[in-house]
Amino acid sequence: MSDRLAKLADVLVGYSTAVQPGDAVQIEGSPLTTPLMREVYRSVLRAGGHAKAGLVVDETQETLLTEGSDEQLAWVPLDRRWNVEHGDVWIVLDGPENTKHLTGVDPEKMARWLKGREPYQNRYLERDSLGEFRWVLCGYPTQASAQDASMSLGEFEELIYGAAFLDEDDPVAAWQAFGEELETVGSILDTKHELRVVGMDTDLTLGVAGRTWLRSKGMKNFPDGEVFTGPVETSVEGTIRFTFPAIIRGRQAEDVVLRFESGEVVEATARRGEDFLREMIEMDDGARRVGEFAFGLNPAVTEYTGSLLLDEKIGGTVHLALGKSVPGTGGVNKSGLHWDIVCDLRQGGEVYADGELIYRDGAFLDGAG
Amino acid sequence: MRDPRVDGLAELLSGYSLGLREGQVLRIDGEETTIPLVTALYRSAIQRGALPYTQVRPAGLDEILLAEGSEEQLSHIPESERVQSEELDAWLTIWSSSNTRALTRVDPERRRLDLAKHFRLVNRRWQRISAGELSWCGTLYPTQAHAQDAEMSLADYEDFVYGACHVNGGQDPIEHWESVSAALTARARELDDVRELRIVGPDTDLRVVVEGRPWIPSDGRDNMPDGEVFTSPVETGTAGEIYFAFPSVFQGQVVEDVRLRFEEGRVVHAEASSGADYLRALIATDEGSAVLGEVAFGLNYEIDRFTRDILFDEKIGGTMHVALGGGFDEAGTRNKSDLHWDLICDLRREGEVYADGELVWKAGSFLVEAAAERV
Repeated sequence: MSDRLAKLADVLVGYSTAVQPGDAVQIEGSPLTTPLMREVYRSVLRAGGHAKAGLVVDETQETLLTEGSDEQLAWVPLDRRWNVEHGDVWIVLDGPENTKHLTGVDPEKMARWLKGREPYQNRYLERDSLGEFRWVLCGYPTQASAQDASMSLGEFEELIYGAAFLDEDDPVAAWQAFGEELETVGSILDTKHELRVVGMDTDLTLGVAGRTWLRSKGMKNFPDGEVFTGPVETSVEGTIRFTFPAIIRGRQAEDVVLRFESGEVVEATARRGEDFLREMIEMDDGARRVGEFAFGLNPAVTEYTGSLLLDEKIGGTVHLALGKSVPGTGGVNKSGLHWDIVCDLRQGGEVYADGELIYRDGAFLDGAG
Repeated sequence: MRDPRVDGLAELLSGYSLGLREGQVLRIDGEETTIPLVTALYRSAIQRGALPYTQVRPAGLDEILLAEGSEEQLSHIPESERVQSEELDAWLTIWSSSNTRALTRVDPERRRLDLAKHFRLVNRRWQRISAGELSWCGTLYPTQAHAQDAEMSLADYEDFVYGACHVNGGQDPIEHWESVSAALTARARELDDVRELRIVGPDTDLRVVVEGRPWIPSDGRDNMPDGEVFTSPVETGTAGEIYFAFPSVFQGQVVEDVRLRFEEGRVVHAEASSGADYLRALIATDEGSAVLGEVAFGLNYEIDRFTRDILFDEKIGGTMHVALGGGFDEAGTRNKSDLHWDLICDLRREGEVYADGELVWKAGSFLVEAAAERV
């Protein structure tokens, strides 16, 4: 077990964030992540970095979101501000104690809090795209995330470490090899102007001409495995029905159906959590538009778990994010929101590129491109 | 179940010790074992309109740094820490640890580098506190490790800690500490007029010159719990012998039955039943480490026993303590040293203290209550 954590730490530090001597490295996670945090801390020291580790305490966040004033909600702590302005590396260990701890929060306050974080997020994404800042979000198995996946902790650990290729002798080599596959998919998509996604209750068209497809090879998310871009903001037309619940910060809406006209959501329904869905979409102008469209491509992630980090990587799915686009894709949508929602295409789903069928039942067709 | 005393302590810290106001930036430092107090304080700060954030350290990182860090990594002060030190309005440090002896076996030279870094940070903090730019308080959250050091169960130790902070229920804690503050301030003003103290007790007869040195009340602002009055003695005036019945702890190492003889302000003879070499090494740290930087009366009578934690031990009601090493600028000290080592002298049974020849203290308390003082 601790061998696997040490291996994981070395991948995060050596491969994902490539820590260099003298780098200021901030490590954070819930109190449950301390076993991995110690290994990451050690690995950063060995790489010559200056490590600083802090625990994120859920209860303080609950207090802020239930009792905080507008000024308090919008305020960014000094250490975080320094980190996004001047830090070199940020390693976040995502190991929840209770994934639903924010369920009781007023959606309007949640929206205000997310909105208040927009400049801060923009800043680190901007520094990231300029090559000044590296960050990774790493999944860490806990009872809470196993429970959401309806698994035992042991089963969930196998899933997450399997998806991270940690059982390979050389996980970094496995990620590099997988990265080549992502390159192939990316190079197919690079040439396309328009995608049409067809599935159950779904027929959605997106313009991607001139946009860049980024290959996610385990650098910013871990585990990883997707290829994504920011679609042309005004181009999205049609309807999409999301197979999996739409989850953000522990809150969720189920069986979400969105209808787009000229890039904007004009109709949004959900079997459960519709008010929450609407509150999020109405956060700001950009929250009604698509900031990201992606193909999930990790073959070792096959089951829905309720953890977005994993679900959006399920091989055979696509996801789109309402809200902020990611720098580097060419997307220009601005928002306090970035809400990834996943649609399973493994049973009967199809994707057409410029009229040609390139993807069916969750896989790219041989000879596509 | 949530212990309401944790919320009581948090309210006392934010409302009284730090005096938090709307818009003030507060940083809360603690280890993972202190999370219940961290969250209670955070909530209290939010309710007062302040801007709190937390630095909760995972247990077990310091030993990794000390075992594996290069000298450069050990000595490195992150720029982020420097920036925060300059911008904070309020800072709360919770000293609790999940293992008070985790660093016992660390190479002393590497430990020294780490401590030197720590002192550089703390010195800057004290400058801002003295300048009135920063309010700071150090406290403790009761954990198993500290209960173990105190040789108590956690439940008993919690009663002890919350009792010492006066948040056990009953009188409003803030009112209590305000009255303590008034009493200690009155005592300090009386002591200001004293030229020489003579401390007499078991194997102890020590003269300490304090003429011209202001006495300072420790009334729960900088420490919680608190309860002492202290000054820095005249550097050349200490003479005689003193015996410390309590074990003396410095950086986790224990020296027992310390006896010191002073002449013209300096230690001229030092012995101990165990740890004598360490004692002599500390006294030889530098020029100022053989001289007293502090003399103080412990006046918190809720603290009635030795628990191996200086935050509590130096305030035991009925004791006095002296510190070898650096003194306090605000007490007019001229003694500089990297050492500041508090040693506690139990005067509760047979002790007497004379101020300029007059008996003022017997068997652990002042004979006359200090006159009430308009502040």
